[in-house]
Amino acid sequence: MIEFDGEQARVEHTQPGGGKADHPWWPPLGEGLRPRQPVVVIAGGFGSGKSELALNLCMGLQAGGERVRLVDLDIVKPFFRSRQARGFLAAAGIGLVAPEGELFHSDLPIVLPEIRSLLRQPDGVVVIDVGGDTAGSRVLSSLGDAFVSGGYELLVVLNTSRPFTRDVRGLVEMVRGIAAAGGLVPTGLVANTHLLGETRLELVLEGLGAVRETGALLGIPVRMLACSEKLARRLQPQAVGCPVLELRRVLREERLGGEWPLADGED
Amino acid sequence: MGCIMIFSGSEAAAKPRKLLMKGAEAIGEAAIRAGAKAYFCYPITPQTEVAEYLARRMPEVGGVFLQGESELAVANMLFGAAATGARVFTSTSSPGFSLMAEAMSYIAGAELPVVFINVMRCGPGLGGVLAAQSDYWQATRNSGHGDYRCPVLAPSSVQEAAELTLAAFELADRYRNPVIVLADGMIGQMMEPVMLEGLAAGEPVEKPWATQGCGGREPVVVKSLYLDPQVLERMNRRLAEKYAKMQTDEVQVELYNVRERHDLVVVAYGTMARICKTAIDRLGKEGLQVGLVRPITLFPFPVDAVHSAARHSAAGVVTVELSQGQMIDDVNLALGELGRSAFFGRSGGMVPTPDEVTRVFRDLVKRGAA
Repeated sequence: MIEFDGEQARVEHTQPGGGKADHPWWPPLGEGLRPRQPVVVIAGGFGSGKSELALNLCMGLQAGGERVRLVDLDIVKPFFRSRQARGFLAAAGIGLVAPEGELFHSDLPIVLPEIRSLLRQPDGVVVIDVGGDTAGSRVLSSLGDAFVSGGYELLVVLNTSRPFTRDVRGLVEMVRGIAAAGGLVPTGLVANTHLLGETRLELVLEGLGAVRETGALLGIPVRMLACSEKLARRLQPQAVGCPVLELRRVLREERLGGEWPLADGED
Repeated sequence: MGCIMIFSGSEAAAKPRKLLMKGAEAIGEAAIRAGAKAYFCYPITPQTEVAEYLARRMPEVGGVFLQGESELAVANMLFGAAATGARVFTSTSSPGFSLMAEAMSYIAGAELPVVFINVMRCGPGLGGVLAAQSDYWQATRNSGHGDYRCPVLAPSSVQEAAELTLAAFELADRYRNPVIVLADGMIGQMMEPVMLEGLAAGEPVEKPWATQGCGGREPVVVKSLYLDPQVLERMNRRLAEKYAKMQTDEVQVELYNVRERHDLVVVAYGTMARICKTAIDRLGKEGLQVGLVRPITLFPFPVDAVHSAARHSAAGVVTVELSQGQMIDDVNLALGELGRSAFFGRSGGMVPTPDEVTRVFRDLVKRGAA
């Protein structure tokens, strides 16, 4: 439904110096952000920013010369999924694994058979974007046997502006729920507190604090902080204490215009 | 992960601040703040998140959450629960709303305040799961049989979805009538920052008709069966007066860039109105004056606002919808002697881009000038 054509993306993202690239120019991922395993599963609550994070990781990896595949495993809702950036991904040369034809638009519990073989033999990096909340993560349990022990990262994305993850209690419940539903142990947390265009630096840092506390309680490291490029420039590295992923909005919904979404991090 | 945890307060949760919410979640939370005591539902995309949200929240506030075996059951549960005077509601999407039509007529006939949320998907039939505005006729005329009407409120943002849900409960109590919140799938599914603080129920309305136990008074009966034709006609006349009062007192409309003179006037609601605003802003930079009349209440329809804006428009009026043309009937009625509205619409879950709408408006202005 929300189609992104590569054409539009090419116009918006130009090479430093102004030259147009064949596909969107993207900065390669910094060392601390690079996946430690060939399979990276991105889980989290609805609205935590999983799909944006998955798309940004893919773009950063591809820019660094990796062979990348994005698996859209969101089978719980038919709106606002990473597969809607298929034109954008294709322009960048990133393979998308999602149902085709009219099933592309469905929210049916479809797990494509090639996902299993990708998990067993990744051949590059495989980023998996699963659906929101415990309901969305449940699909992982059906693939449990295909995950190679120790061969994956499970990152749980957390946004403290969402109703049920406003505090540490809610965050802990979310991480535990996702782990239980998916049958996989989370390897890292991603602090991604945001209010779309109304995100302020204080909010990002407040969210990071709560995610840190959650990680300490659960014994899971904070793998990275994600925020818009604009806000990231204002962060004090020593205050953050983990790698920072500078997000570029891919899943914009330009047609809703005006107030939504504004440029990220407009203070 | 199996340790005992001690949490140090939840100041962050208590502090009033904006949250990032889906339209469906904001509707659920607004209903709780309106004092809804019971929510009956049957899941259907694209609004199941209302149910998901309330499955968790209703028990927290001592309310009832009940998933029925079908929409038919749900609508009849609403009848029974509303008869006690409690604030009750449901949410569904187009095919589910059709299934509720019979009970809705009974609810209107028994003059019970019930809020129905319809997050529209594309039809007809099972259609698809994507956003549409093709239940306009069904909502604004009446979905069931008999002489009845319901106020229909159409939000165009997540914040407004919350505010209109609250308003729907107030209207329902004030008029003893079902009220519909008609959102489209985009409003139900998209997330936006929302401020919920300050959303609270108004003064409680006396409900002497409610079946709460006689306690010494005469029994009351909640029903829609009147076999005596004279009695039923009196009842229908009284209902008609109620609907006429809604048409005088309850019209809500947003005017965007509406001035003395226009190159073109647009009528659109919900998600479609937002896309039109983007197009209007772009055309404004080209020096074209395009005004938007956005009905917030679809019934009562803002007849005067449409007529008044259309009086000085070089290229007339265009109605824009996510359907093949339903609201255009009301726009044409409102235009009266001014002529007929042009139409642009997409359906089947297709949502036009601002570019597409901008081109349509520009062409209409050109044709009007010629």
